[in-house]
Amino acid sequence: MRYICANCGYIYDPAQGDPMNDIPPGTAFADLPDNWVCPLCYADKDTFDPLD
Amino acid sequence: MKPSLSSLYQAVEIGQEIPPLLIGERSNPNGSKKFRECLLADDFDGCLRIGLDQEAKGAQVLDICAAYVGRDELADLTQLVRIHAESLKIPIMIDSTNADCIEACLKIYPGRCIINSINLEDGGETLDRVCRLAKKYGAAVVALTINEQGMAMTADEKVETARQIYDLAVGKHGLRPQDLLFDPLTFTIGAGDQNLLDAAIQTLDGIRRIKAELPGVYTLLGLSNISFGLPPAARKILNSVFLHEAIEVGLDAAIIDAGKILPLAQISEEDRVFCRDLIYNREQGAEKSPLMRFIDHFSARVDGDEEGESEDKRPEEALHEKIVRGDKDGIEDILAVLLDRYPPLDIVNQILVPAMRHVGELFGKGELLLPFVLQSAEAMKKSVAWLEPHMQKVDQEEGTKVLLATVQGDVHDIGKNLVDILLSNNGYKVFNIGIKVPAETIIAKARELDVDMIGLSGLLVKSAIVMQESMPQYREAGLNIPILLGGAALTSDFVATSCVPNYDAPVVYCADAFAGLKALKDFEAGRLTATVAAPKNGKARMKPGVKDVTIDRSHPVPEPPFYGLRHVVDIDPAKLFPYVNQQALFRGRWGYRRTSSSSAEEYAELMRTTVTPLYEQLKTRALQEGLLQPKAAYGYFRCYSEGDTVFVESGDDVMAFEFPRQQSPPHLCIADYYRSREEGGDVAAFFVVTIGDRIAAETKRLFEADAYHDYLMLHGFSVEVTDALAEYWHEEMRRELGIAREKPADMTGYVTQGYQGSRYGFGYPACPDLDAHTMLFKLLEPEAIGVTLTETMEMVPEVSTSAIIAHHPQAKYFAV
Repeated sequence: MRYICANCGYIYDPAQGDPMNDIPPGTAFADLPDNWVCPLCYADKDTFDPLD
Repeated sequence: MKPSLSSLYQAVEIGQEIPPLLIGERSNPNGSKKFRECLLADDFDGCLRIGLDQEAKGAQVLDICAAYVGRDELADLTQLVRIHAESLKIPIMIDSTNADCIEACLKIYPGRCIINSINLEDGGETLDRVCRLAKKYGAAVVALTINEQGMAMTADEKVETARQIYDLAVGKHGLRPQDLLFDPLTFTIGAGDQNLLDAAIQTLDGIRRIKAELPGVYTLLGLSNISFGLPPAARKILNSVFLHEAIEVGLDAAIIDAGKILPLAQISEEDRVFCRDLIYNREQGAEKSPLMRFIDHFSARVDGDEEGESEDKRPEEALHEKIVRGDKDGIEDILAVLLDRYPPLDIVNQILVPAMRHVGELFGKGELLLPFVLQSAEAMKKSVAWLEPHMQKVDQEEGTKVLLATVQGDVHDIGKNLVDILLSNNGYKVFNIGIKVPAETIIAKARELDVDMIGLSGLLVKSAIVMQESMPQYREAGLNIPILLGGAALTSDFVATSCVPNYDAPVVYCADAFAGLKALKDFEAGRLTATVAAPKNGKARMKPGVKDVTIDRSHPVPEPPFYGLRHVVDIDPAKLFPYVNQQALFRGRWGYRRTSSSSAEEYAELMRTTVTPLYEQLKTRALQEGLLQPKAAYGYFRCYSEGDTVFVESGDDVMAFEFPRQQSPPHLCIADYYRSREEGGDVAAFFVVTIGDRIAAETKRLFEADAYHDYLMLHGFSVEVTDALAEYWHEEMRRELGIAREKPADMTGYVTQGYQGSRYGFGYPACPDLDAHTMLFKLLEPEAIGVTLTETMEMVPEVSTSAIIAHHPQAKYFAV
């Protein structure tokens, strides 16, 4: 399930992970650490909506 | 220009990109009980409200009919057309078969409408007259496939009748094919009439063939007829599936109840099968007929939404529901009934305030989104305003008093205004003293108005510092009331460590308006305490970015088209819309989030029925009313870097732009993207862009008129269009520099900077210090395009943004 940042539109895709924050591919959104932020606009996890 | 209709306010294409063209059906005394009642009572405002409601629910054209036994159709219809033309944004469809009425309406309608309808029932006499009128006034015409023998039942007859009408309208009267909308008639398949078993099939075939054999014409259906005789819940589903089938064969327009269509995705596969079996009359080897199977399947189905016919409800419940649903329509009638039974203050405290509290709870659970909360607040405001003349003066004085202000030097107020809306509609007395308010004024006003609490707001980092530094001032002035602090740059930790210790009453961080509301409730309950810092075992926020970077010093320096500054004042606003980040607008600014309690289909429907139409209307309105006046002040300057500074040459001046450097790897600094003097120097590009102050004036007007929902919409729209302008102008500058290769394919491409180089906004994470604006303004002279600076270096109007642009291929966003 992908998630989208409501502040800037960045899409977190578990298949890609997030290299900017050293998150490996295959990491589900729920498993991202609590202090993870959007790699583009630095918004926190609460700012993300489920997309699919 | 594609064939279109128009009102005073906007043009609407007949052939919609996503068909069908939705024509609202409820303004018809023969189809809507509510409309009939209003008409018979001569309540034309009530009639208008029904039309506005259809518009709000997504209708793109409104069908208006006034034909009713015993009434003067001409007088009624012209009156209706007149008031709708003024207040309705969408074009209308004149629903009459009386040529005198049609003519009278065409004469007064300020736009291009559709005449509904002509046919060959009387051999063509009326058709001739109406076609002449259509030709004279430039109207479009609906043509029903009815001839002298009656209604055409088979596809062959429908096509033949259509052709006859076509030959007359086009051949004889000189109308164009695209002026015609053929309605091959819809008959009900829900009443069990044996003669109509294949009626849907004939209609669908009729559409397909008319589109094929009479090229250039449009097709239309009065959709709800298909399900006449079935229970409401089943009708809605059958109508929706039939609409889908009709569009597949080429239907262009449909007359429907705009609020009662479901997207196919929302209808289960199983439901669809029953609908299609009925539509296509498929026996499927079953014992029961397709209709019986359909009725059995949907027998237990209950219609989800009510009509708002709340006569059966007690007025107390009805009022509560109006608030929760944000429905202002007819609320005065309920209040009038309640005023007979209760003192007005009781109505406020026992019904209205608890209803708003419930709204807050629904928001907290993710079941109600912010725009709907605002609609509830509007209903609340309307109710209280209506009750106010009936209240004693002393009643109105009750309630905790709150002073709200945006701090010195800061022009941003959307957050503060949302707090104002929420608090004042939850029973609190709010004194909103505006933006850029110095601490001295806050102190003076707090004393003068004898408030119980102060709320301070500010967007940028600078404002957080202002708040921090003014705490001792408030203490010394002897204030001892709680202070709430809100703003995007604030964090709970910052408030706890830098603000709380320097003031003698609780200082509380509020992340949003709802947190502010909670703080007020805590205050009244005597349990409001200062914000405390989070325990240290909580990890600090991550800092995204690659950790190991070597900046390539050998990149070529592009040759700009000129050195110095230029001002551009004729940017076409329509060019900006493709650059608008719709996700940020819909979710971030407007608050249409998908919460954990809504499914993907529900969210898609919300987008389709509510959000996208809203956005389309706003864009149209913005263009029509000239609300957007995009301008740019930009330029290219020789420069060189030295350490953390970029030295920019302008004429004889050299300006030193010093940028902060990251403390941890990869230790990035904006200056790194420009060559040093030894390396040969570089070129720095800058811009200041604005969409002008007209939209800000209109936004302010909406807030002052208590149009909370529209205020939020327009404000959010203006912010995102400003960002779109920045994106668009940055692309123009890449083009001028010769570094624009392929455009990013979509918004994600822009969001992830799929282009060469980067722009950095002053005041944002890579260069948070706004003092650089002084130098920027000397370089670009943006005063000539209407942009000025506050004493804390923020730009006015708010809908302006600035940036330094780096062309270096390795330059991307980063934070310090």
